Amino acid sequence: MSVMIGLEVHVQLNTESKLFCSDSVDTRNKAPNENTCPICLGFPGSKPKLNKKVIDYALMTGLALGCRIPEESFMSRKIYFYPDLAKNYQISQYESPLVGEGYMNLPDLKIRIRRIHIEEDPAKLVHVGGDITSAEYVLIDYNRSGIPLMEIVTEPDFTTPKQARQFLEKLSSILEHLNVYDASKEMSLRVDANVSINGGERIEVKNITGFENVEKALNFEIIRQSGMARMEVKIEREVRHFDAETGTTKGLRKKEYEEDYGYVFDPDLPIIKVDRAWVEKIKSSMPELPDQRVKRFTSQYKLNEYTASVLIYTDKHLADFYEECCKLYKDPIVVANWTTNELQKSLNWRSERINDSKVKPKTFVELLELIDSNVITERYAKELIKEYVDTGTSPKELAKKSIVKLSKKDIESAVKQALDKNKKAVEEIKSGKTESLQFLIGQVLTLTKKQADPKEIKALILEMLKKQ
Amino acid sequence: MRGAREGSISAADSIKEAVAKSKEIQKKYSPFITINEKAEASRTKGRLYGLAVSVKDNICTKGLQTTAGSKILEGYIPPFDATCIEKIKNEGATIIGKTAQDEFGFGTFSVNTQLSIPKNPSDAERTCGGSSGGAGCITAAADFPHVAIAESTGGSITAPAAFTGTIGLTPTYGRVSRYGLVDYSNSMDKIGVLGNRVHDCALMLSIIAGHDPLDSTSSELPTEDFTKYLNADLKGVKIGLPKEYFSEGVDKRISKNVRDKAALLESLGAKCEEMSLPSTPYAIPSYYLIAVSEASTNLAKYCGLRYGLQKDITGNFDEYFTKVRTEGFGEEAKRRIILGTFARMAGFRDKYYFKALRIRATIIKEFKQAFKKYDALITPSMPVVPPKFSDIKNLTPLQNYYMDILTTAPNMAGMPTISMPVEKVDGLPVGMQIIADQFKEGNLIKIAHKFEVSA
Repeated sequence: MSVMIGLEVHVQLNTESKLFCSDSVDTRNKAPNENTCPICLGFPGSKPKLNKKVIDYALMTGLALGCRIPEESFMSRKIYFYPDLAKNYQISQYESPLVGEGYMNLPDLKIRIRRIHIEEDPAKLVHVGGDITSAEYVLIDYNRSGIPLMEIVTEPDFTTPKQARQFLEKLSSILEHLNVYDASKEMSLRVDANVSINGGERIEVKNITGFENVEKALNFEIIRQSGMARMEVKIEREVRHFDAETGTTKGLRKKEYEEDYGYVFDPDLPIIKVDRAWVEKIKSSMPELPDQRVKRFTSQYKLNEYTASVLIYTDKHLADFYEECCKLYKDPIVVANWTTNELQKSLNWRSERINDSKVKPKTFVELLELIDSNVITERYAKELIKEYVDTGTSPKELAKKSIVKLSKKDIESAVKQALDKNKKAVEEIKSGKTESLQFLIGQVLTLTKKQADPKEIKALILEMLKKQ
Repeated sequence: MRGAREGSISAADSIKEAVAKSKEIQKKYSPFITINEKAEASRTKGRLYGLAVSVKDNICTKGLQTTAGSKILEGYIPPFDATCIEKIKNEGATIIGKTAQDEFGFGTFSVNTQLSIPKNPSDAERTCGGSSGGAGCITAAADFPHVAIAESTGGSITAPAAFTGTIGLTPTYGRVSRYGLVDYSNSMDKIGVLGNRVHDCALMLSIIAGHDPLDSTSSELPTEDFTKYLNADLKGVKIGLPKEYFSEGVDKRISKNVRDKAALLESLGAKCEEMSLPSTPYAIPSYYLIAVSEASTNLAKYCGLRYGLQKDITGNFDEYFTKVRTEGFGEEAKRRIILGTFARMAGFRDKYYFKALRIRATIIKEFKQAFKKYDALITPSMPVVPPKFSDIKNLTPLQNYYMDILTTAPNMAGMPTISMPVEKVDGLPVGMQIIADQFKEGNLIKIAHKFEVSA
């Protein structure tokens, strides 16, 4: 069975103001419809005015993806009646996108970019009394109306859902490095995924948020479509909705063709002219991109490519955090291991991103220093980090508050206690049963609240048994 | 206006009087959709201090109902002023009311509306022209100092000026900010002026013209004081008479009156000659295709959700907005939405919408070529005298559209025009249209003023 997947990725750009008016794009902590004006509400007589910053951002993205930059493009009206559109048309681009063809390299795969264009985000619909297919009524919040969106369209070059996810992770990292979008904002990246099997009609799953959900939706679609194929049910072009709770897709409507939207040029907006000088200016101000950064990490910090990629592609801010820590701590490899393993695990557990967490480089390296100076064991540090991520309290303070690394005498007394309590185990060890030794070590660890080093405990037990 | 300035009457009294007289005129000729009961003299002693201004109802006025002649916007009170309104208020003008028009500007006789239909002060059984019919009507009927702000897409200032015997100035596309203008066809809509003196039109244009950051299509060219073109000499001015504009479709008596005026201008020092604009016959179909294509998208926003006419919310969104639009739009609006949607449809877009855009480019080129040789062109304004309402009823939509035969080309090309009253025919007003190159309104003022003082 052959699978073809193409993506349309909608990214909310983190400019200060909306695409065509001066309202802020920051709608957090805003009452519904507070962030609106006659322009983004489409009031009679209002006119759009293009925010130049949006063009800068889209050009940066285009250049980062090796895209062709046409000298001219224009905005068009895409007309369809839907309550989330303030004007019942969306100002978008059709014949003439701002950015042309490009590509992205994935491991062993090159994904072609077809185009990147800019458009306005519609309002947010709140479905009351059901979901999109069953709601009793709908509330409209125009705070989102007019937020600049960049739509990145790929060719159908993916053959597995996993590849699509990899693409999105890398894309998100690139966009974060360019500082054109805010990954922590809800709905800031939304995906329409097109899937077809065996060269058949394509199904569009619309408005998926979360990379894991994209992978899930695609997996479900492939299974659903191949099931239909097996039963020889004809697959018809259709738009489907992904339900994150059940992990399934539901049919919404028959797909319209793009040319059915009756596009006209938007006569309120002049042609956008991007000359060489503009492109050069953007090029010279481009920040370091993820691929370049991975290379730098391998040479500067002697990391292997895998670890460097995990740091950089998981979350740009994790890589930033890592570099800050490296300034404060001598061994970049140790920092990398702790960052990608224990720290990331604790953050995931709390579903937090590094920037929203209480973790700071200065306090984080304290943890590593405590291990180095034998104040705490590595094993205990793995316990301590959870509390640190939870509270943000300096590990030094935490170590002081809880039991500090035990003296040899303390461990000896704990071993003695354990031997006295578990005579049966002691006999078994003497008769050569090693499992019982492990059991005793465990008992001592419990008594010392995991503060003692298991190797040391083992040595002490054996020593004491010899004496007995 | 002069009285108030000279201090013989107070501005407050003159505005009060203007409103009172407007109410009387309204009873006879209905030029208004809304009379501003709260009109007050301004405290700003600017260049328009104490002047009563009427505003076409498709221009947004803060706190004052703005319907664009459509029932679907009945009761709509804009939360902001159009840029041109802000500018005239800053000069001390007072808005006395909002004038009647064809719905959204869709017409030539101001009859395509479910709201007020203005009657011609020369003969109340006849039209004032359209779509700025109310503006023409009040300008002709006002016996107090008054200037009208109006708008033209394909001839909507020239038609009422010609039919009411007033002066109508349509500026270059982009000369006056469209911010706050309810869109008909954004690539052709122009805010302009109707008045009784060339001076008034020139002064008003000087005030409302200029770049506006809120309208990206407004020209960045510096604005001018157009009154400096008054009292100019016509020596060496070259004027063309495009023969296509004096063709068989035009009432011969009107053509003759206009030609007579060309002779007058010659006697004043201008040089007139016949010339040709061969693309003229293509103007009407391509104008209408572009206009309806754009209009059909502009009208999509009216669905009874955010403003204007509302109905009980029952059924789904499609059912709801269908109900609102069925009741709120008149027949001509519906016709243009359907035509425009068709012209934009897949498979027809190339044949109609794009082709029309190409023809517009050709027409612009042809005008540009002509203006290398001529300072201005002179044509009749309208091909007929103001028709009777009873005759308009019998016109087919196509016959109706052909009334714009003399105005669509300069309008779609964005060329500025001024319509001046000439000798009447059958006792009814007749207009002469002067066309100049883009941003050469000065030429229009020059010729029109000389003509005004010599006629």
